[in-house]
Amino acid sequence: MATKQRGGVDVRRKKKRNIDVKAIVDLGADYSDDDDDDDDDAPEEVTFEKAKADAVRSMRNALDTIKRDKELLKEKRRKRQELFQQQKKRKLLSEDILEEIELAYTKKGKTLDSEEQEKEESEEDEESEDEEEVVNARLKESYKAVRLKDQIDANARQESASDFIKSRLYGPGTNRTTTNHMLSLKNKTGMNKTAAVQFVDKKWGSEKKGEAEKFKKRWIRNQNMVAK
Amino acid sequence: MGQFKVHRVRFFDFMPSGIRCMAFNSKADRLALARLDGSVEIFNFSNNYFQEKVIPGSDSRSIEAICWVGCDRLFTAGLNGEVVEYDLERLCPKYTLDAFGGPIWTAACNSEETHFAFGCEDGSVKLFEILPDKIQFERNLDRQKGRILSLSWHKSGMLIAAGSLDVIRVFDVKSGHSVQRILVDRGSAGTSNKDCVVWNVAFLSDYTIVSGDSAGKVQLWDANKGTLIKTHLVSKWDVLSLSVSENEDSIVAGTSEGTVVQFQLLSPKIGDMETQWVRTRTFKHHTHDVRAVTETRTAVVSGGLDTQLVICPLMDKVEVKSSESVLRKVIFPHRSLVSCAKKPSLLLFQFPDQLELWRLGGTDTIGKPGESLPVTRKPEKLLQLKRKGDDHICCSTISECGHWIAYSTVSSIRLYQLQCDNNNISITKLPKVLRSAHQLQFSADSSKLFVASEQATIHVISLSRSECKHVHTFKPKSGSSAPVHLLAASADGQWLTSANRHCEINVYNLKKLKHHCMVPVYNSLPSAMAIHPETNNLLVTHADQQMFEFGIVDKQYTDWSRKLQKEGLHRCRLKWGTPVTHITFNPQAPSQVILHDTHMFCIIDQSLPLDGLKAQFYSQLTPKDTSETDKPCKNNALKICSKYQPLLHVNLLEDDWLVVVERPLIDIHSQLPAPVKQKKFGT
Repeated sequence: MATKQRGGVDVRRKKKRNIDVKAIVDLGADYSDDDDDDDDDAPEEVTFEKAKADAVRSMRNALDTIKRDKELLKEKRRKRQELFQQQKKRKLLSEDILEEIELAYTKKGKTLDSEEQEKEESEEDEESEDEEEVVNARLKESYKAVRLKDQIDANARQESASDFIKSRLYGPGTNRTTTNHMLSLKNKTGMNKTAAVQFVDKKWGSEKKGEAEKFKKRWIRNQNMVAK
Repeated sequence: MGQFKVHRVRFFDFMPSGIRCMAFNSKADRLALARLDGSVEIFNFSNNYFQEKVIPGSDSRSIEAICWVGCDRLFTAGLNGEVVEYDLERLCPKYTLDAFGGPIWTAACNSEETHFAFGCEDGSVKLFEILPDKIQFERNLDRQKGRILSLSWHKSGMLIAAGSLDVIRVFDVKSGHSVQRILVDRGSAGTSNKDCVVWNVAFLSDYTIVSGDSAGKVQLWDANKGTLIKTHLVSKWDVLSLSVSENEDSIVAGTSEGTVVQFQLLSPKIGDMETQWVRTRTFKHHTHDVRAVTETRTAVVSGGLDTQLVICPLMDKVEVKSSESVLRKVIFPHRSLVSCAKKPSLLLFQFPDQLELWRLGGTDTIGKPGESLPVTRKPEKLLQLKRKGDDHICCSTISECGHWIAYSTVSSIRLYQLQCDNNNISITKLPKVLRSAHQLQFSADSSKLFVASEQATIHVISLSRSECKHVHTFKPKSGSSAPVHLLAASADGQWLTSANRHCEINVYNLKKLKHHCMVPVYNSLPSAMAIHPETNNLLVTHADQQMFEFGIVDKQYTDWSRKLQKEGLHRCRLKWGTPVTHITFNPQAPSQVILHDTHMFCIIDQSLPLDGLKAQFYSQLTPKDTSETDKPCKNNALKICSKYQPLLHVNLLEDDWLVVVERPLIDIHSQLPAPVKQKKFGT
């Protein structure tokens, strides 16, 4: 009954809110340590179930969002995979040229040296594309045909070796700094101490100086507006 | 004398490449240096440290290790898995051999020079046998798990020490098995999650292994027992290079922070027989990583990513105070990379991968001496010509009229015809007899191209708008096959001189198309050469800073040259560390000669008396300031100006204009890779 509660509707609502908050934070805990209430107020059964329902609802929401995120990620991955496949298809040679390569390789077993011969023969074009090289294998006897798979392997190994050395010398944990820093240190610790290089030499640090100029203009404008 | 208006050119973005590895050949007293772009340079240490030969690099070639075999065979190995032997007469690779082990990280030759060992990415050490004309694969040693990053033979040739990630292995060459496995500790606790890379090992003859690793330690190990003898913590960063002297009493190590540390085998107490490796000297001549270090009998030679080669003398080994006892830094190549077409004021810049043609700017104002005039017409880049193919450009030239440009790589020569008004450019085909050139030069009237090819032959090609014809081939009388590095043509088109790497200078008669005479051989390599336009005297400067003038028509040295040898120019002339790379003459004053090297240019007036070695030297910077009466040096033949440096080229245009091409070192520094971070107190 409404009048039984002291303080009226507002207090009850406030109590409910307090109890709701406490219940969500501390699931299943007793609501009896509510300091705003009087000590002889009876606990309300309804709110506990409501709180439980709220808690369950919030958990379900969380699970739903996680599921949704997973699905979105899956979608993204699928789309990316499709894109890669399409690009790969575009990059691959057409069917008939692939057959020719197979034939040429198994029958003759020669290898193609694309660089030297091509250049001597035809001066006007840049280094020709892979398709042309293979087609020319039939025509010019002095060429050698090389399987692109082998070449790509060699390049990949060279790439990984140079990546190794780059990461050991310049990768994370190597504590490198900029040339600007090093030269500025020289300026500051030398016999005649001067400022850092970006202030001594006008051409250095042009981007940062540009940004600083813009910031200054903006700040002055703001100051003027505030003053007005 | 000598009042000029100066074009001060700084738009040549010359960027040298970092030094990767070097090898010193003590029998021939030569140093072979490999750079990151694949080029190989050979310095002749007995010839005033002159850069004798340059083999241009290639895009497809990468070099990780370089090695001499004997006096005259040079091998390199790189990350493309190939071993290359070079032909030092034709200045190109002789052949390449694939080692089939993946990228090759290191190469070492045994002390008897019969076998080569290569350390590969797949963890195998490959042994190749050295034959008189090639190398041949012999066998593999046992394959290991990690990549082999460094190798060293023991003096006996029975054991090889190989450094890998976190471990050093000792292989027995005969059986191929690993007989010892030494675990390298990772250093201080902060870096313990990264493996310790053993960048270098050296095997001493008393079975001690010296290793330099990425934790900054130089450690000495006992190879028989596999135990650690001593650790020296040299730096906080990697120790990237290590070298042992020939008599094994000194080790030098180069680090990532640019310091080079020397260890010497000394006894701690005087008179005590027991010796220890003690850290003695530290040199800090570099700002970036030192990736290659070696030791000669009297000096420590180091080079790294800051592209400078530093030769630092060890004062306790130097006996005589001579050119050996001076710290040298080789910054620029010892030849000219800039060609100038005087009439249309064009400059041609040679880069390894392209050529750039610029027209000089101009000014309309006149000023007082010492003033800098405002530029009214800006210099403009007329042409950027990219090379075809992988090989780098080794030489280039432009004709005097500015209509012809030629460049050469090791595999081809190209000739271009330029029409400046409508910016048309067309290629002209050259006759088949030419394949590559060591030096190119146009004649003064731009009607002929002189191509110095292999075996010291010079081809004369006549040029016309439609086609080029091969006119003649000159061969040197002595039959020497050393590559030609200098060519000079006379202004009247009658004489052609060539200088080759055996210090021979040949003079050819172009009208009669035969060999005229040979200049008496002087033991030092010629570094620059020019023929006077009026008197047809050949002026040659050598690597040891001596200068000679040879009268071509009379076939003997001129009187001025004899006087110069007797009295000598001032002694400060002889102290110059860098060789003269260009000689030019003043059309307005026929007796003046202008020479330049990296740090100064000077004018020598042949009509004024020489002061000799002992006289006090006065140098004027602003000739017009001092009044006419108190000019004590008025009668001195030599005037030096070091206001513009470092210099790449100095040339004289018409109307008293001087072109000075500078390359400030700070511009090179700003494009170098990142240096290590060093914390200094108070900054």
